[in-house]
Amino acid sequence: MRYRSQSIAYWYFAIAMCLFGLQLVFGLLSASKYLGPDPLLDFLPFDKTKAIHTNLLIVWVLTGFMGATYYVVPEESRSEIYSVKLAYIQLVAWTLMGVTAIVGYMFGWTAGNKMLEQPFPLKIVIVIVMLMFLYNILMTIKRAGRWTVTEGVLVAGLALAAVLYLPALIEYENYTVSIFYRWWTIHLWVEGVWEMIQGGLLAYLLIRLSGADREVMEKWLYVIVGLVFMAGILGTAHHYYWVGVPHYWLPIGGFFSALEPVALLGMAMYAYFAMRRAGFSHPNSLAVHWTIGSTVFTVFGAGLLGFAHTWPSVNKWTHGTLITAMHGHGAFYGAYAMTVLAIISYTLPHLTSDRKVEGNSIGYWAFWMQVMGMFGMTLSFGTAGIGQVYLERILGLGYLDTQLKLQVHFLMLIATASVFAIGAALFIWNFFRTAPKSVAAIDPSASAPDLAPAGHASSAGSG
Amino acid sequence: MTKRQGRLFFIICTLVSAIAFIGLTFDSHRRFPGLTNEDKLTPEIIRGKDVWHNSNCINCHTLLGEGGYYAPDLTKVTQQRGTPYLTAFLKDPSQFYSEEKHRRLMPNPKLSDTEISEVIAFLDWVGHIDNQGWPPRPIIVSGTTIPGTDVGQPPTHASVSTDPVAQGEALFRSSPPACNACHSIAPGVNLAGPTLAGLATRATAIVASPEYKGEAKTSADYIRESITHPSVYLVPGAMYSANNQSFMPDNFATDLEPRQIDSLVAYLETLK
Repeated sequence: MRYRSQSIAYWYFAIAMCLFGLQLVFGLLSASKYLGPDPLLDFLPFDKTKAIHTNLLIVWVLTGFMGATYYVVPEESRSEIYSVKLAYIQLVAWTLMGVTAIVGYMFGWTAGNKMLEQPFPLKIVIVIVMLMFLYNILMTIKRAGRWTVTEGVLVAGLALAAVLYLPALIEYENYTVSIFYRWWTIHLWVEGVWEMIQGGLLAYLLIRLSGADREVMEKWLYVIVGLVFMAGILGTAHHYYWVGVPHYWLPIGGFFSALEPVALLGMAMYAYFAMRRAGFSHPNSLAVHWTIGSTVFTVFGAGLLGFAHTWPSVNKWTHGTLITAMHGHGAFYGAYAMTVLAIISYTLPHLTSDRKVEGNSIGYWAFWMQVMGMFGMTLSFGTAGIGQVYLERILGLGYLDTQLKLQVHFLMLIATASVFAIGAALFIWNFFRTAPKSVAAIDPSASAPDLAPAGHASSAGSG
Repeated sequence: MTKRQGRLFFIICTLVSAIAFIGLTFDSHRRFPGLTNEDKLTPEIIRGKDVWHNSNCINCHTLLGEGGYYAPDLTKVTQQRGTPYLTAFLKDPSQFYSEEKHRRLMPNPKLSDTEISEVIAFLDWVGHIDNQGWPPRPIIVSGTTIPGTDVGQPPTHASVSTDPVAQGEALFRSSPPACNACHSIAPGVNLAGPTLAGLATRATAIVASPEYKGEAKTSADYIRESITHPSVYLVPGAMYSANNQSFMPDNFATDLEPRQIDSLVAYLETLK
């Protein structure tokens, strides 16, 4: 760590870890409601625990992205962050917004639009926080007068994420139109600009961890983001099946969704070959695990499990079943949760004191228990979903009676989710095990034990 | 490939996709009014949409297949259940389903009478959106049509033969809405409506009983009356009726032709 202001990242990651833990509490609570009966029915029914579970996910992943940006930008632009104070004010406002939203949901204060449940005043706070963040980052880059493609992709991804949140601020009288624009935010986030953020962070990690040539890595970063957008933008169509839009979205969705796994496979190959060339020799092997693991799990969860139900003739039967929960869990975890955990694993030895770069065995237990646990969870949702489609949609068994027959899958879900939660708890415990470095203790002359010389940036405008 | 070519690839891919997407968005807007019957979008329906959002319905149910996957899809619910049924259900869901049996229950949404009628109006408007015919077959909330009944026989409008009983049986599975969406013919299997197993025998007993105040004299008359005027005799149970009104839709007298009602009666009389 060369820049004192990079230590901002620690506090963003610390908040992200707390919210991640809380997300799992509400996840396990929701899963137990599948088994029922529910003693909390009148105070905290499923709709509330689920809304809190998904909102916490979005908030902690975005907190992680912002923390990662505060870590990456100083190194790439070779400059301290423009305003450390603004970064902390932003974190406090963001956290207060998140906590208010959760408490609000518990007491029925909700906009009731899936994933965009934030009531309007909180949506405004989100916009303000995003503007503060982008201002701080752009001023840093402007003052430094240099930027790299890696940070450019990362920051552009975050800026576009803020822009795509804007349609969520508008009220639509027509429910179909409201669905149409809800996906501009949610889909174009997760299968568009968030992948851009993931790509930027991945390129940063790969350059640091493998020592690969920056020119080569950034060239391929362009290609991958190009492929992601080619498939992802028109791939929005797979959310436009059966919701009252023109019929041509069906074939468009089928075709471009089929291309999405190709882009994701490209990203995994990009990571694997970069690391293989370096012989996987970086001392922070835990960060290597998370980085490669994230790309592999993205191909599985987002690519393959997504493609499992985006073909229109398949989706006709699987639409609105637990098959979607299968894909949702695998995709968000592989692409976003794991990317944030990768960047945390890479930066933690720099941000905290008394920590070995190599990591410890708890770190590996945390990795494998989470990966295996999440794999088991996707299998549980997947098998439950297939059972549901067959019994409910093909045979015509009632919805509630079908769910009763899926109890064994829900037991499997809770068992595997518990393995996952233990892995996550180990990660969180490991994170807080040692104190953060005090800012005064950061020695700007100390170099990180990376394989690549850091900060090999393009001059302004040439990237 | 150079970095420059890589960047060019990125820019071209993004621009082409974005322009195509925005073009299709404009065209979709042109078509939304027709596809969603926007002319029928009354203030009551829009208020119903707000009730739907404020009650966070979507984080358990699905609507147009989107939502929480924890409770039944409601896209076509107003075509499967009449307004009296849905009104009574929304007032107190625990009257209709047992948490003991199904291990989940809808919490009471605590809606006013106005809010209930608004949200039903909203759901009815959603049910008429042209959504490419999804779901491909009706999604039933509870119960089963499986045990010993008509598994694997798709609904059909075609007459299977000239025999009125056979025609009635086909109609039972296809009349809009299909009778078997709410009634099973398996003993003890009560869906939204009571089972029709042993109907003819039960009908004879009902017309002879002092509780019966209708005009039917025979079991066939009783069955016909139940189809055309469902509220004349109410099957006991809070899940079947409220305020002396049956939850069964009362549109069959006008929506079915007399010949169709004859064949339905002929078929239902065979359920002894």
